[in-house]
Amino acid sequence: MNLLAVDGHDKIRYRRLKARIFQSTCCGLVWMCVALLAVLLFHVASEGFAYLNLDFLTNNTSYKPEKAGIHAALLGTLWLVVTTAVISIPTGVAAAIYLEEFAKKNRINTFIEVNVANLAGVPSIVFGMLGLAIFSRLFGLKNWVIAGALTMSLLILPVIITAAREAIRAVPNSIRLAAYAIGASKWQTVAAHVLPAALPGIVTGVILSMSRAIGETAPLITIGVPVFILHAPGGLNESFTALPMQIYSWAAMPQKEFHGLAAAGIIVLLTVLLLMNATAVFIRQRAQRKLKW
Amino acid sequence: MVKLNVQLSKAGSAAPDAASSTQGAPAAGTLPDGDPRILEARNVTISYSGNPAVRGVSLEFPERKVTAIIGPSGCGKSTLLRSFNRMNDFVEGVGIDGQLLYRGIDIHDPRVDPMELRLKIGMVFQKPNPFPKSIYRNVAWGPKINRYDGNIKQLVEESLRKAALWDEVKDRLDDSALGLSGGQQQRLCIARALAMSPEVILMDEPCSALDPVSTSRIEDLIFELKKTFTIVIVTHNMQQAARVSDTTAFLELGKLIEVGETDQMFTKPREKRTEDYVSGRFG
Repeated sequence: MNLLAVDGHDKIRYRRLKARIFQSTCCGLVWMCVALLAVLLFHVASEGFAYLNLDFLTNNTSYKPEKAGIHAALLGTLWLVVTTAVISIPTGVAAAIYLEEFAKKNRINTFIEVNVANLAGVPSIVFGMLGLAIFSRLFGLKNWVIAGALTMSLLILPVIITAAREAIRAVPNSIRLAAYAIGASKWQTVAAHVLPAALPGIVTGVILSMSRAIGETAPLITIGVPVFILHAPGGLNESFTALPMQIYSWAAMPQKEFHGLAAAGIIVLLTVLLLMNATAVFIRQRAQRKLKW
Repeated sequence: MVKLNVQLSKAGSAAPDAASSTQGAPAAGTLPDGDPRILEARNVTISYSGNPAVRGVSLEFPERKVTAIIGPSGCGKSTLLRSFNRMNDFVEGVGIDGQLLYRGIDIHDPRVDPMELRLKIGMVFQKPNPFPKSIYRNVAWGPKINRYDGNIKQLVEESLRKAALWDEVKDRLDDSALGLSGGQQQRLCIARALAMSPEVILMDEPCSALDPVSTSRIEDLIFELKKTFTIVIVTHNMQQAARVSDTTAFLELGKLIEVGETDQMFTKPREKRTEDYVSGRFG
């Protein structure tokens, strides 16, 4: 009904129709993703739930499926992730601060910047080879926790650096100038104003990169992390195995029970991931509230 | 009233020559007592990546007076202002020729620490830029990092009182500064600068983002502050320059066209271009 007597009434209706089609296409695609994810989760849960009990968490793996548990792999993953975080977060954030706040714009720094971004796209197996050559062989760190953590750190550093740089760059320059204008040094300005303001963005980058580290298998295989290991690591200089390795090895077994164990392992992996992300989101929310933009 | 004239370098006969001003201990100052010049620019040229924004400007700023720098957009007035506390150090590709003196000391002397210089010469920016922290911490942070050993609480209150903001915020010092209105934020930024007890306050179009009521409050504040501080204010609002300043300098395309007492500048300018500008014929 052309109540307002607008010229080109039909054209407007056509435009609105186009907008609706676009909107429903986007909506449909989102729900398709959610549905796929739900099916996957349901499948994993239905297969693995029966195997999920306390024994599964406290036993180490075994050739007998009824005795096999995920204890060593779970603790191995925790060792790996915590060590990786300790190495990569300070290094990555420091590198980002340097590149954004201190580095002069010259060719070398531009070269570094471009290559940090490129490294984020390098396949993980390449980092595995590097870890094998340098950490395992050259430094003699074998297939220990520390070798795995250093390799994982290499893998996720580009992600952390890139995310942290974006976050630091998003802090308005007026804040820096305000601090300089009352006699603050560059470091005081960064520590008191830039970093707190950039923290939510940095934490987001850390979540993403840690999620990647916890799920990676290829670099661990390359540095020779064993799949059959009967004790949890007790230190950085002990060999270990990780959840994705354990899941992979069970899934490759011929017995059907092991497939159920693999599904249960996936549930454990996803739970660890979810807990980690929840912690990070909590930290981010707190930081944002404190920021009071 | 100290008269300011367009001064070529050679005209500054009373000033110590450039060499002697850089030889004494920088902290001591080399001007004779009672010399009213606190800031001075001598034949200053500032360029961005080779393009000059300020061309050969020589200006003197008397102590405890308000000096306004006016001129059309892009005339280099902000650039000149920012060079006095070396904020241009943070801009890449800036080149400065000529001399900038604070109490007779060349501020680019390698013995002058720019961080210390900024304690003496504070700054208020065009857009209010409080830290995204509480009102209290906005004022207290500067003294804290500079190891102020008096009572910081008292200093915060004094600074907020001097900035005519205390009564409005005394009950919510721990609230975020970003909850304040634009005018209040700007007065908070002034309080933040005052807390460092500077001698000079540079103001870079401090009212351009504010409504008329907030603007008039800031202008009242400037009247109050000039009893204690030397103020240099850049503004593109000529009425504001006429209202608040004692002397006015007019810049155009990076060149100093005329400088004089504000009354004279707005009623009987010597230069035709000044007259055109202040009477609103262009700009």
